[in-house]
Order: sequence, then structure tokens, then C-alpha cells
Amino acid sequence: MLAKTILIRLLSTAVTLFGVAVVVFTLIRVAPGNPISMMLPPGATQEDIANLNALYGFDKSLPEQFVIWLGGVLHGDFGTSITLRRPVSELVLGRLPATLELSVMALTIAVALGGFVAVIGARKRGTATEVGLDLTSGAVLSIPDFLWGLVFVLLFGVLWPILSISGRIDPRIDFDFTTNFYLIEGVLRGRFDVVGSTLSHMLMPAMSLALPLAAMIAQLLKQNLKEVLVQDYTTLARVRGFSETSVILREALRNAALPTIALIGVQFTFLIGGTVIVERLFAYEGLGNMAIDAVINRDLPLVQGIVLLFAALFTVINLLVDLSYTFLNPRLRNG
Amino acid sequence: MTSTHPTAQTLDIIKLNVRLANGRRLLRDVSLTLKPGEVRALVGESGAGKSMIGKAVLGILPNNLDISEGEIILEGAHLNAMTPSTRRKTVAKMSSLIPQDPLTALNPVRKIGPQITDPLIRIHGWSADRAMKRARDLLDRVHIRAPERVMASYPHELSGGMRQRILIAAAFAPSPRLIVADEPTTALDVTVQKQILKLIRELQRETGTAVLFVTHDMGVVAKISQQVTVLFAGRVMEDAPTQQVFEAPSHPYTQALIKATPTLNAVTKSFSPVPAELIAELHSDIAKIDAAYDAGDRA
Ligand SMILES: Nc1ncnc2c1ncn2[C@@H]1O[C@H](COP(=O)(O)OP(=O)(O)OP(=O)(O)O)[C@@H](O)[C@H]1O
Ligand SMILES: [Mg+2]
Repeated sequence: MLAKTILIRLLSTAVTLFGVAVVVFTLIRVAPGNPISMMLPPGATQEDIANLNALYGFDKSLPEQFVIWLGGVLHGDFGTSITLRRPVSELVLGRLPATLELSVMALTIAVALGGFVAVIGARKRGTATEVGLDLTSGAVLSIPDFLWGLVFVLLFGVLWPILSISGRIDPRIDFDFTTNFYLIEGVLRGRFDVVGSTLSHMLMPAMSLALPLAAMIAQLLKQNLKEVLVQDYTTLARVRGFSETSVILREALRNAALPTIALIGVQFTFLIGGTVIVERLFAYEGLGNMAIDAVINRDLPLVQGIVLLFAALFTVINLLVDLSYTFLNPRLRNG
Repeated sequence: MTSTHPTAQTLDIIKLNVRLANGRRLLRDVSLTLKPGEVRALVGESGAGKSMIGKAVLGILPNNLDISEGEIILEGAHLNAMTPSTRRKTVAKMSSLIPQDPLTALNPVRKIGPQITDPLIRIHGWSADRAMKRARDLLDRVHIRAPERVMASYPHELSGGMRQRILIAAAFAPSPRLIVADEPTTALDVTVQKQILKLIRELQRETGTAVLFVTHDMGVVAKISQQVTVLFAGRVMEDAPTQQVFEAPSHPYTQALIKATPTLNAVTKSFSPVPAELIAELHSDIAKIDAAYDAGDRA
């Protein structure tokens, strides 16, 4: 049963990724702009152009190019970046940790903040506090992530400059990273200067990405909590002496969480999509920032690699969301 | 403020009034007492306010309702004079609820075991071992086979009758002085109803817990209670020992209720519903009394 589910899951993932690959491959080649002409100095000869075209395989037909590329991918070879002249897989995997740290940090902030506001709202249901929280989250939600980014830059980068507005870490810090997970490695190796600097660079982009999602979580979770809090088992818990906060956290939260988990699953992929612009805004050295450069430079292999990685990431997230349903709802567990 | 009461009652409700924000009274001057170990049935038609009384005692009235006047004294403690958190703890220490619908009264995402032991550990301050043992013993007492397995199950894996037995075990687990049982058999099959009723009666006798038993079935009243309070439209119509109520019901509404109960008239088959004229008459009487009251309120 479980094996069958996993098999179906893997197959559909493969189909999705293949579809994404075809679409991206075609789109970026059909779109105007030629990577070769951008690489060559002015005054290059027709022969130079033809040579380079042949080198990168751009002289072949589109289907042929695709088959060659796909063959490489199946052997773990995603091609070579035209502008950076290094293997796409190495470049992309090198940047992935930065984006993962940023988006997981943003997600954590969103869940913590949104969850906290939802619990307070449910605790204070029917009072002015609830109305105030509703209005606030409505307002927060109406401002998109990159505008929050600008707001934060103004607030904590310019007016009250306590956070770093550009990059991923203070370049003066002397630290030999073995992975590109700066934050995690800083924590694990007990280097608090590294942790501090990474956080100082990460906080604003993470908050920008987190705020709209936090507002969504606050609204949806509070609504579902309120629905659960009239159920008989919560009444029984009150009779048994548990405080309202305790009833919310122990009895209601898990029952109310399913729709929010589904929302987080969908919105997390949007959040990762949002890193593209937010990383650019804060010159944060992640995948999104690299993706923009790759598109500007028509670095076709690199664009493909990044998009494929994003797509793979999204399917993994969806899988995790589905698994969490089973964890939260015991009725789905057997069978 | 006096926090103790001279009488030795388990529960003493004195002239309790519950109102809506608009002033409408859902309970009017309800008084009743429960001696230790006594079972008092609370009967009346749907909407009479039976559950309301239980909720007022347990402190779980809906937000739009208010205890406007009256006293509730539980084991000598004046509940209405307490802060909400003290009241909550006092009520939890001394009383339990057996709910109406076992299907909705257990948390679907939590295992049975912790749902019984949690309050014992976290509210009553027992050790985990003691709570586990108590839960096991009581599940065994309510005829649940393989208590260990049941405690590791989720509610959806168990039948309605089993869940109600679990809720009964949970209610008796902290050895409360008072149990409010709000129509604990209404949601169950007829055959299961009998077992559940028997179980509550047995456990009540063994433990000497006082029970406020809400029901609309005079047949159940006859089986389980020593005292009866007959309620109509939020008013007490009759308050008497059960035997007396059946032998010589003093109020016409009580007489009609008895006549309306099939199980009590099975032999003669002469049962008939409470006449609509009687209900209308009672309502109009009450309206007159209310008008007089309200005039008094204004004066
Ligand atoms: N939250 C509320 N707001 C307004 N009216 C309410 C509320 N809860 C209950 N009532 C009303 O109070 C009255 C008494 O309700 P209660 O639930 O105590 O009735 P009951 O005697 O238990 O009836 P049943 O046998 O149907 O359970 C009913 O008329 C009901 O409509
Ligand atoms: Mg009721």
C-alpha cells in the first residue's frame, strides 16, 4: 500500500520534472536574445560565432539539443554555465544552501508569528483585541514581500541602521566554510560572530518573505481554532480544569492545523518564488539572485538547472505536506 | 466574603437566574440541593433549561449568557464569588461531566490514555504512574477488555458505547464529589443505553459520588434517582423524592410527563403526550408571573 503510494508519487514527480524541463528548454530558446553574441567581444568574426555555437551545441535542432541535454542530465551532467564557465550542478548546488536557509528562516518566522497571532486572536475571540489583530493582518497581507523589503531597508538599513542590507555575511569575517550553509555551520561550530553576521544579513529579507504568509496563517488558523473551540472535547477539557490557553494549545491546535498546513504547503512554494526578487533586493547570494543574472545573460544551461532545481524543491515540499497530514490526522494513518 | 457554607450539601443552588444580554431569563429562581452520594434527576421537555443548570454549575455557560443572580455552592465553596481561574480549578477538583455525545466528546487526534490521565496529572497533581494505574483500573471497571490497548487507541477506532464507557471512567477517575451527567445515554442505541445507565448507577453507589442526572425520560428518572427536579421553561415546577413524584405527583405538568412515558405505562399502554393545552396554560401562567416580577424589578 505504502510502496504503491510512493511509487505513484515518484512517477508523477518524474513526469512533472520532465514537463518543466521541456517547457523551460523550449521557452528560453525561443525567447529573443542570444547567449553567444553576448559573450563575444565586438568585432568577432562569423567563424568565431559558428565555433562557439558548435561548442555549446546551439547549431543543432531544438529536439536534438534537448535529447543531448536530457542525456547529460540523466548522467548527472547539467551542462556548463556559459557566463561562469563552470558546471551548472556545481554552481546551483553551491547557491542552494543560501536560498534554503533564507526560505526556511522565512517560513519559521511566518509560522511562529502567524501561529502566535492566531492563538492570541482565538484566546481573545469576541473582543476588540481580535478585531485589532484581524485588521492588522489584513493590512500586512495587502503589501507584497518586495515592498516589505523596501520598507525594512528604509527602517533598519537607513533610518535606524542596525541590520545589514546587502550580501550574506560580513566579508571581513575570517571563517573557513566547509559547506555553504553559513548559519547552520556557524551554529554547529559555535562561532557566534558568524551566526550574528549571517542573521543580520538574513533577517530583513526573511521578514519580507515571511510577513504576508504570517498574516495568512494568522487569519486562517485563528478561524479554524475558533471552529474547534466550540467542540465538545474542548468544553470537557475546560470542565477538567484546563485554562483557555491550555485548551487551545493542547486540544484545539492539532485539530485546527490541517487547513493551515495545506496553506503553508502551497504558500511556501510561492515564498521560494519570492526569494528571486527579494534576494536581488538585498544582494543576497542565493539561487534567485543567480537566476536573474542567468536570465539577463541568456545563460541557457544555468537557467535550466536553476528552474529544474526549483521544480524539484517544490515537489519535495508537496510530499512533506502530504506526509504531515497523515501525522496530524490519525484517521488517515492506517490503510 | 464567606467561603464555607454551614450545610453539609455537596451542591446547593439558591435562586439561580441565568439571563441573556437582552434581559430574557433562561433560568428563573432555580433552587436545588444534592446531598453527598445522592442522585438527583433533572427532567423537563427540550429547552426547559436542564443543561443550562449543569453548565452554570460547571462554569461552561455560553459567552452570551450570564448568571445574573443566585448562589452556587459546591462542597461549601461559593462559586460565584470566585475569580474565573479559582472557580475553574475548584470546579475541576470537585466535579466531573459525563457528556451527552460520546462521539464528539473525545479529541479525535489524541490517544485515549492521555485524555484520561492528563487531567489527573496536570490538574490533580498525580504522578504519571498513579494516573496510569487509575485509568487502567477504571477502564477495567467499566468492562473494557484490554485497557492497555484501548488506551493506546484513537477515538475513531472505538464504538460509541465504548467511548461513553471511557468517558464515564474518565469522569470518575479523579474521585469527584459531584458528577453532572447530561443525557449520557440519549446518543446511544437502546441496548447500550441500559448498560450505560447501570454502569453509572453502580459506580455512583460504589464511590458515593453525588450525581446531577439530566434527562427528559421519566423512565430513566425512576431507575436512577432518589430526588427529582421537574423543570419547565427555566422554572422549577416540582422538587420531591422520586418515589413521591411517581406515587403522588403534585404538579399537573409532572403528572402529564409521567403519563407521556411509554416505558412507565407499558402494561396499560395508556401513555399520551403532554397535552398542548397544558403547555400553553403553563406558559401563560409564567408570563403573568414574569410580568409581576418585572414590575417588582422596576419598583
Ligand atoms: N447560547 C444561548 N443563547 C441563547 N439562548 C440559549 C443559548 N443556549 C441555550 N439557550 C436557550 O436556553 C434554553 C434552555 O436550553 P437548555 O440547553 O438548557 O435546554 P435543555 O433543557 O437541556 O433541552 P434539551 O433537552 O433539548 O437538551 C433553550 O430555550 C435554549 O434555546
Ligand atoms: Mg440539554
